[in-house]
Amino acid sequence: MIEWLTKDWLSITVPVVVFLSFFVVAIWARRTVYSYLNNLLSKTKWEEREIFLQAIRHPIFQWCIILGAYSAVQISALSSYGKALAGSIAGSAFVVSLIWTTISLAEKLLRIYLNKIKTPSLLPANLIINVLRITFVVSGVLILLDIWIISTTPLVLIITIALLVVILASRDEILNIFSGFELARSSLIKTGDYIKLESGEEGYVSDITLRNVQIKASGGRIVLVPNSKLAKTTITAYRKPLKKATQPFHFHTQLYIKELTGLKTKNLPELISILKDVPDSVVYYHTHSFIEEYHYLTPQPANEFALWVSDVIGNEILAEKLSNIDTFEFSSISGLRERIIAVVNEELSLRGEGRMAFEGREFHFIKSVSVVLPTQYIAHDLREFVEALRKVSMNSLYYHIFESRLRLQKGINDFSIWLQDSLNERELSDKIAALDPYNYTLEGVRSLIIQLIEGRIK
Amino acid sequence: MEREIVHHPRAKIQDYASVVGASAIEDLRALAEKLSGKAIQNINSTFTGGGVAEILARMVPLLNQLGVDAKWTTIKGNDEFFGVTKKFHNALHGRAEHISSEDLSLFLEVNKKNAEELEFEGGIIFVHDPQPVALVAKKKECGEKWIWRCHIDVSKPDRKVWEFVRNFVVDYDAAVFSAPNFTQQLPIRQFLISPSIDPLSDKNKEISSEVIDSVLGKYGLDKGKPIIAQISRFDYLKDPVGVIQAFEMVRKSIDCQLVLAGGAATDDPESEKVLEESRDRASNNPDIHILPIPPGSDIEINALQRASAVILQKSIKEGFGLTVTEAMWKGKPVVASAVGGIQLQVKNKFTGLLCHSIEGAAYSIKRLLSNPEYADYLGKNAREHVRQNFLITRHLKDYLLLFISLYYPSDIIYL
Repeated sequence: MIEWLTKDWLSITVPVVVFLSFFVVAIWARRTVYSYLNNLLSKTKWEEREIFLQAIRHPIFQWCIILGAYSAVQISALSSYGKALAGSIAGSAFVVSLIWTTISLAEKLLRIYLNKIKTPSLLPANLIINVLRITFVVSGVLILLDIWIISTTPLVLIITIALLVVILASRDEILNIFSGFELARSSLIKTGDYIKLESGEEGYVSDITLRNVQIKASGGRIVLVPNSKLAKTTITAYRKPLKKATQPFHFHTQLYIKELTGLKTKNLPELISILKDVPDSVVYYHTHSFIEEYHYLTPQPANEFALWVSDVIGNEILAEKLSNIDTFEFSSISGLRERIIAVVNEELSLRGEGRMAFEGREFHFIKSVSVVLPTQYIAHDLREFVEALRKVSMNSLYYHIFESRLRLQKGINDFSIWLQDSLNERELSDKIAALDPYNYTLEGVRSLIIQLIEGRIK
Repeated sequence: MEREIVHHPRAKIQDYASVVGASAIEDLRALAEKLSGKAIQNINSTFTGGGVAEILARMVPLLNQLGVDAKWTTIKGNDEFFGVTKKFHNALHGRAEHISSEDLSLFLEVNKKNAEELEFEGGIIFVHDPQPVALVAKKKECGEKWIWRCHIDVSKPDRKVWEFVRNFVVDYDAAVFSAPNFTQQLPIRQFLISPSIDPLSDKNKEISSEVIDSVLGKYGLDKGKPIIAQISRFDYLKDPVGVIQAFEMVRKSIDCQLVLAGGAATDDPESEKVLEESRDRASNNPDIHILPIPPGSDIEINALQRASAVILQKSIKEGFGLTVTEAMWKGKPVVASAVGGIQLQVKNKFTGLLCHSIEGAAYSIKRLLSNPEYADYLGKNAREHVRQNFLITRHLKDYLLLFISLYYPSDIIYL
């Protein structure tokens, strides 16, 4: 041992000295390089410089130590095999340290940057960081294999095939993600926008994620639209913020069945005699049944009294007078009933009772029994209201326009009441209230109201 | 006694959305939901044959699909009993029939036996037509609400038979009639529910022009000449001779052809006689085609209606007149007598033309043939009118509303 020390001391001492030198340099470098970089980065006002410096402070020391060890081995008296082995170990240690440092730094920086993006839910940080980790780890493994002179071709092949399989299996998801990035980049839609898709879905955007856009549709339904679908379809976005109603409008619908009163008449005196005493539902039925039953006709036939007087009694003058009674003038059925009776009485005093109806063609007094049901459509503002109005059934429209106004004796249609009371839209309310719905088909009424509201929210 | 219902491969409730709109089906589902927990038991006299069985075979499965617990039961009776009920049927229609006290006793006895043997399962017992009317004797023991559905015109009945039937009817909670002028004064609630057609049935569904052409070829009809058609059984009340006379008046100035097509009822000897008289009156006129169509030829009827330029229904007396509804659904301009239920369907000059005479029918046909745009206007209105008021979906809606309204006395019901 002593002999070996006296004879080959240099072969030990020199590598040790070299390693110790690198150790000293490492201590110096950690401090100097840190100070230098700190000064340099201070000038750039880069906010994340402290994170960067902290992240590389210890690795610089580690890398110097690894370099020292590698250099010491290379000048040592070890065999070439030993040197090569030590070189591979040092290289591997460096790669592991470098990958670890990079991942750690990238993760910290990414979290900060992703938090600064205005639509954080669209870009899930964990997903991106995991992808980054996998990418760096795979790259590191490939480099390590190369250092240890192991063929990387099979692994690259396996990774490529696996990637292809994953891409094929989740192509829709990938499309959604790319479309999501595009949505975020272009800022086409934002949370709170009211959007309408070509396919019919519509509502307020309540959330935007990497995969889909969440729409809060009428009636509180949540509709999830994949981002890839959004990228392909035509979107109408209404960004103007609309006033919220103090109370939402619940659309109802009305369905009715005909109940026979058992009363019938063959002539005019009997007609008014019975008409005086029948329930309001009877007068309502005979003056309104045409609106629903013949809603597709323009012009619609007049009330059933006028039609019977014309077709069966053959008194065209009286039929014209009855047809000309303007139902819109009346806010109660009793007023309407009195007018009909007055018109028939006037005719009776002028021209007598006229002819009798043939058997089988008597006037049967029928009443309308209505069943009122809530629908799924609820509106909190004008945009939701107009979009629901496009979709509700004729029966719903009829209920809010005709039945509420006259039969329920509100004196005004439900839409106008809501616009004024819950949205303070007095002008719009008045315009809709002034529309005489008896002059239009139900579809015509719907179009006119939609036009008025569209004009207001444009 | 209770036999299995034969379920025909018919359309599903959602299939009707393409015809009447999704909102109409939504309305039906909403109404059906309100009947949750209520069972409805339909009772009539047969599962097969006749209009009532036909409509129940379609309605009950559709009600079930909507989630309504609807059942269908028939009463049991021997030939003698059904012989008596046939006489009841004729007498209620106003035809003179001799009904003995033994007949009345038999009627009561069979109803009583059925009342004892039947299992009344429904909260709502829906009895159809006069045959089972006396089952209402069980009202105190079973069911919450009893409804009598009268499918026939009882406006001018044999008084004795009507009084006998009426004694039972007044014990029901409500009665249902098909048209206002089919009714009688009753102390119970009476509802008006019109019959309906099924737009997806063979008789009414869309068919190809190839099928239509093949039917025209089969009966030797000229495809290039306007067809005026009356589709009805051969019966004096359908006035086939009057139809031929009207056609002859039209034919003097317009080149066209007449089709008189319909079933010849095998159990009605009068039908053969009417058919022979019609053939004689046609006097070998090559433009008049008298076609006795065998039962079940729904596609052929459909094709003949669709191939026609004008559909005529010159009845002297008519029930509801579903052949008119079928023609209107096919967008055809209709000329029809102002009788029975036709008046509910044809609003003169809006959804068709009403007539009161042979001359009136001829004049209206000429107006339509020489003014195709006007004919088209009436045809389109007619189709929309049927879509709104006379399809099976409206019938379902009315039944659901009827069941619900029985539980509420007011005219406006909030659910």
